[in-house]
Amino acid sequence: MPRKRHPKKAVEDALRYAEQHGWHVEIGGSHAWGKIYCPNNDKDCRCGEFCITSIWSTPANPSNHGKQIRRVVDNCNARKAV
Amino acid sequence: MKTYEFELKFSLPRTAPDSGYFIERLGETGCTDALVGIGQSGRIAFHFNRDANCAFEAVLSAIKDIKQAIPEASLIEAAPDLVGLSDIADILGYSRQNIRKLMMNNMASFPTPIHEGKTILWHLSSILTWVKDRDRYQIDELLLDVANTTMQLNIAKESQHLDASMQRQFLAGI
Repeated sequence: MPRKRHPKKAVEDALRYAEQHGWHVEIGGSHAWGKIYCPNNDKDCRCGEFCITSIWSTPANPSNHGKQIRRVVDNCNARKAV
Repeated sequence: MKTYEFELKFSLPRTAPDSGYFIERLGETGCTDALVGIGQSGRIAFHFNRDANCAFEAVLSAIKDIKQAIPEASLIEAAPDLVGLSDIADILGYSRQNIRKLMMNNMASFPTPIHEGKTILWHLSSILTWVKDRDRYQIDELLLDVANTTMQLNIAKESQHLDASMQRQFLAGI
């Protein structure tokens, strides 16, 4: 079954970008829409806090929120190493 | 109003409830302009894109919002402040070798690091100011404002450990 879409297009696009890079999306919360999980979550990761990242239902600025998500995906050390 | 980009990292008490609870509280206090990272237990990290009149206003209001949501959270570090060669290269958009060469060719004037060892660390603020004074690179003024502010915050946080008498005598000596 396909997952529920995020109501904001900029955020939904960023979530799909994360999924294309192997991230797992989990839905749940109220202010929070859900969470994304990095597929390479390991001890050596420099950006470890963002290996699990919370996604807002109604971010202050959906476009910025989308950029923030893409940045986390792009900054992943495991991905950079490839 | 301009949009200021920065990161704040906090530690959470060992007995903290599930992060889901904190995130709902953060949503209530207006932190929905931050991406919240909860990938390490006992830590919570924020990547802010906050609208404000200056970096100081942006960072101070962000801390207030976080502390209102999670009073027991304690600040570990504000970024971007402490940077190594690779970070500097990323930020300025040049290769690491290029920045290394810039440093080696200008040993006399290049900012002195705050830590030397396996990795060398500088305050981003001093690097940006140096680069700006050389007039060869375009410097993002918003980033410089942020770097100054995060440096002030990190130093202010560490100053809690200061011994006034030792500080006076040390400053007279260095």
